[in-house]
Amino acid sequence: MKQGELRRALMVATLLCLFLFFYLYWQQSSRPLQTLVLTYKHVYSSNEKNRPPQWTWLCVNQRCERHHVTENVKIVSLNTCSMLCGSTQLWPQPTGPVTLGSKAIAFNPQSFQFETNVNGAVRTLLSEAFSAFNESVQSLMRNDDFVNQKTDFLKFIVRATIKDSDVVRLKLSTDESYSLILKYRNGQSIANITARTFFGVRHGLETLSQLIWWDNYHGKNGALKVLKGATVEDAPIFSYRGLMVDTARNFMSVESLKRVLVGMAASKLNVFHWHLSDSQSFPMILPNVPQLAKTGSYSPQETYSSEEVKALVEFARIRGIRVVLEVDVPAHAGNGWAWGPQEGLGELAVCINERPWSLYCGEPPCGQLNPENPNVYDILQKIYRDLIELSGEKEIFHLGGDEVSLECWAQHLQKSSTPNNYTDLHDLWGEFTVKALMRLQQANGGERIPHVILWSSKLTKRPYLSKFLDKNQVTVQSWGASQWADTPDLIADGYKVLVSHVDAWYLDCGFGRWRETGDAACDPYRPWQTIYNHRPWQQLRLDKKKIVGGEACLWTEQVSEWNLDSRLWPRAAALAERLWTDPQLDTTTYIILEDVYTRLTTHRERLISRGLKPEAMWPSYCTQNPGMCL
Amino acid sequence: MCDSTGNIWPKPLNYTVLKQELVWIDARYPIFATSAPSNESSAYLNNLTRYFLETIRLNDNNDRCDENMYYLVINLLVFSPSMTLNWDTLEDYKLKMSADDSGRSFSVAIEASTVFGARHGLETFLQLLQSYDVNEQTCFVTLKELVIEDKPYYKHRGLLLDSARNYLSIETIKKNIVGMAMSKMNVLHWHLSDSQSFPFVSTRLPNMSFYGAYSEKETYTPSQITELLQFAKLHGVQIIPEIDGPAHAGSGWQWGADAGLGHLVLCYNQLPYKSYCIQPPCGQMNPANPKLYDVLKELYADISQLWSESNVFHMGGDEVNVPCWNSSEEIINYIGSKNRSEEAFLHLWGEFQSKALDAYDVASDSQKSIILWTSTLTDPKTIEKYLSKNRYVIQTWVRKSDHLPADLEKLGYRLIISTKDSWYLDHGFWGTTTYYSWQTIYDNQISNGTTVLGGEVCMWGELVDNNNIESRIWPRAAAAAERLWSNPTTSAVRAASRFFSQNDRLASRGIRTSSVVPEFCSKSNYDCENYLTK
Repeated sequence: MKQGELRRALMVATLLCLFLFFYLYWQQSSRPLQTLVLTYKHVYSSNEKNRPPQWTWLCVNQRCERHHVTENVKIVSLNTCSMLCGSTQLWPQPTGPVTLGSKAIAFNPQSFQFETNVNGAVRTLLSEAFSAFNESVQSLMRNDDFVNQKTDFLKFIVRATIKDSDVVRLKLSTDESYSLILKYRNGQSIANITARTFFGVRHGLETLSQLIWWDNYHGKNGALKVLKGATVEDAPIFSYRGLMVDTARNFMSVESLKRVLVGMAASKLNVFHWHLSDSQSFPMILPNVPQLAKTGSYSPQETYSSEEVKALVEFARIRGIRVVLEVDVPAHAGNGWAWGPQEGLGELAVCINERPWSLYCGEPPCGQLNPENPNVYDILQKIYRDLIELSGEKEIFHLGGDEVSLECWAQHLQKSSTPNNYTDLHDLWGEFTVKALMRLQQANGGERIPHVILWSSKLTKRPYLSKFLDKNQVTVQSWGASQWADTPDLIADGYKVLVSHVDAWYLDCGFGRWRETGDAACDPYRPWQTIYNHRPWQQLRLDKKKIVGGEACLWTEQVSEWNLDSRLWPRAAALAERLWTDPQLDTTTYIILEDVYTRLTTHRERLISRGLKPEAMWPSYCTQNPGMCL
Repeated sequence: MCDSTGNIWPKPLNYTVLKQELVWIDARYPIFATSAPSNESSAYLNNLTRYFLETIRLNDNNDRCDENMYYLVINLLVFSPSMTLNWDTLEDYKLKMSADDSGRSFSVAIEASTVFGARHGLETFLQLLQSYDVNEQTCFVTLKELVIEDKPYYKHRGLLLDSARNYLSIETIKKNIVGMAMSKMNVLHWHLSDSQSFPFVSTRLPNMSFYGAYSEKETYTPSQITELLQFAKLHGVQIIPEIDGPAHAGSGWQWGADAGLGHLVLCYNQLPYKSYCIQPPCGQMNPANPKLYDVLKELYADISQLWSESNVFHMGGDEVNVPCWNSSEEIINYIGSKNRSEEAFLHLWGEFQSKALDAYDVASDSQKSIILWTSTLTDPKTIEKYLSKNRYVIQTWVRKSDHLPADLEKLGYRLIISTKDSWYLDHGFWGTTTYYSWQTIYDNQISNGTTVLGGEVCMWGELVDNNNIESRIWPRAAAAAERLWSNPTTSAVRAASRFFSQNDRLASRGIRTSSVVPEFCSKSNYDCENYLTK
């Protein structure tokens, strides 16, 4: 042997030793520090390598019971037990018949194969919905290695059959029903989703994604699982299932609004009502009236560009949601409207930042459009054209119209040189609204928007209501307390109503006063049970046909984008089931069944896996021990 | 920045601006000069400099600034070698800033008794730095010359976190510690266990978490805790652990019988829960079982080993449910079936407490202070019979109108005040409780008697978890922080602008704070105070 060879061999041997040394060292330090032993006597032994699961769940009387893991017991994760034990884990609960298999199989998301019978625009839309579905499923995985793991079967076919292939925009009359049949045969799963429209199929996909879960006890690393068989027939009770978010009191990033839409899609809510401006700020850059955001946004960063808005509208449409943009007028408009005099257009808004604010508006800072200035209506028309263009929404339009301060106008009219002959300023308000409605029609190419929503106000009460507002066009968003006469009166007078009763469906309530004077907004907090148990058509015996649906509202004086999720969820999901399923309410006890708690808990976990941060509903103990906390 | 009282939160004791002028300074590349009397304290100061740099660079989009800046020299001077963080720690500091025009240098001198005071000083300086975006560059300005002398009003400025109702990740706990450090709060009261779960991994009693944790991952291992304690210390925060007993103990204790130790807890999971406890699942320690105290000794030994630097431990002691004990044959046999009066059970409880204390003293081989919640055991009429004021500190959790704290103060007990109708952060979401706005929290004045150590805001965990806890705590806990650090004579509205700035700071450090007012107000704080009032 040559000297050089020996040196090389020694070198290699040394390297090997080093490698072995590091390997063993690493092995040792990665060993868990603590070991788990079953009994007290074994306290000091530390032989176990990985900490094994400590709980298993048994399905007893259609309820998952938590048991401590003992030797020779088959371990079942809570997710798997819940899925196979009695109740569906679907949210909202389908309204038609549901049969669910009692067996589960593991599958790999790479095995998805999407098929459809349609072409053209709806096919493009569908492929986006498939990818959103795929994302929802992937989000369940707690272990990335799972993608490469072998599973029970090779193919998972998701087949969507759509009858009306020309429906690509959601309308109030759109058929959102679907049927889902899931079967397992010859090593492949087939999910057949049949619906009249794309929007039905989208909901079917959502339901399918809710029949899939992560089983963290499967094998070494856990696995995705799906029911072996299932059939679901489903259709919503109400066609307007809304959620309103205010981005004017505090700015919400586009990312945070996307999370709102993701949560809505998971809960089958279908209208995102975007209260985009208020007297505090005007964050949306409108192409034809850029002055509003330029002078009214909090900062150049805190704005929404046309591209962002359009992308968000598309993001929503893929998820079965329409976007209704609201620029609230004539009240709730101040900052952003002060540029009139500079551009020779006169005062567009009056009382801007006026004090003492309690005399001229409901909350600081004040501001209200100037009904006397004709330029205001020209600008409104431009705004409306932009809003229709940005949202693509020609069926529903929200005009705002709440909390007009007649004192503000009275004070302004006193100062103004033009004589006025209003004995009742409500007429001025009514005329303003009529003019705005005309401008809306002009902005829509002369075509009348069939459903214009107005917040309930003095103007939507008798006698002004019928004087100014056409019941064939106007839907009133009734936000007064449910015990008030508003809602029954409106229905008696033949108006359609969108229910947003403050005492049940206002999500911002309960956080005390943010300003020093005036009432605490609307304390107390509405827990999800209150939202779920609000069923005014039953409690007030209203004609359900006159109710287009409901909407929960989140005003954001005391919300930032950091707690937007937890203010909304899971409470907005409680509303979703009220509007989709509309379960009967026991008005003597108001007891909510255990099944609702269990399903909502599962749904909350689902929202978490999709990247949301919903509020905790109770201690985890209650999740792990169904029925023990009720 | 231009505010004559400064924009510091909590408000410093003395704040004197000598030159109101704003100057550009090179905050990204400061020169540090530290002086401390021991290796340990020097090392701490070095870590502090790292903390400063990390914070400065946190929201840096662009680390260039071409303005004509002063060089920044930060002097940290500490006099005492003491490294212990407890109620005796001196937290005062003095901060002097001045610009030397000839050398274009800007000096920040922080002098403090201890490293923890120096840390507060540095935190204050961070708040005096304002970043500005100039021509797509980020530059820092500060005031040209000022002097601050500062020290806390109360020794104990606490936040309670409950990681038993819902598990809180280490990351979540750390974020709260950061929020506390930014607000100069110094005690994290860690409610480690309750009847719902027992996430603490005990080396001597692995069964506790094996039977008590929500899952094998939702636990706190000794190494995690050690690391957390170091993290907290660097942020000027001491962590006081609480193992609640004899009530609020259930999950984690149910292995006793199988291990031949008898029942360690009673009534576990018993239904209907309302008959045996205040919330499910029920569970209460079994004081009749002598083995219970052996187990406690083991558990306490683990705790004191991990908390070797601490001189205090929280034993809970709230909400003992007599019907639970009364329903147990074992207990009845122990106290004698003829003797089932309220008094007898109180006596049983007192006996438990003294045995638990003995167990703790043996386990820790010392005589540390023990904190207990107020309860029937701390009734001023009988407290002296059961609890020695030399050993026990009482945490009161009664309403503002209740005179219990005053009564206990008169008896000479050291107190921590957690005003239930102001400082309970979980209220407003369950039962008939109401939410306490930051103003209510701020305006809650507590006694300034000599035995009052301070106060604590409590974040009970039934309705919070990693997803929503930060916005429930912040920025409201910061309102309590100023109450406890500065004890201002003015009300919340006078602090509004500064408070909103602090909230922005918390958000910029990645804490998911809630808004408390429309941005309109927090941004245009020139007359926000007026807007809120008129």
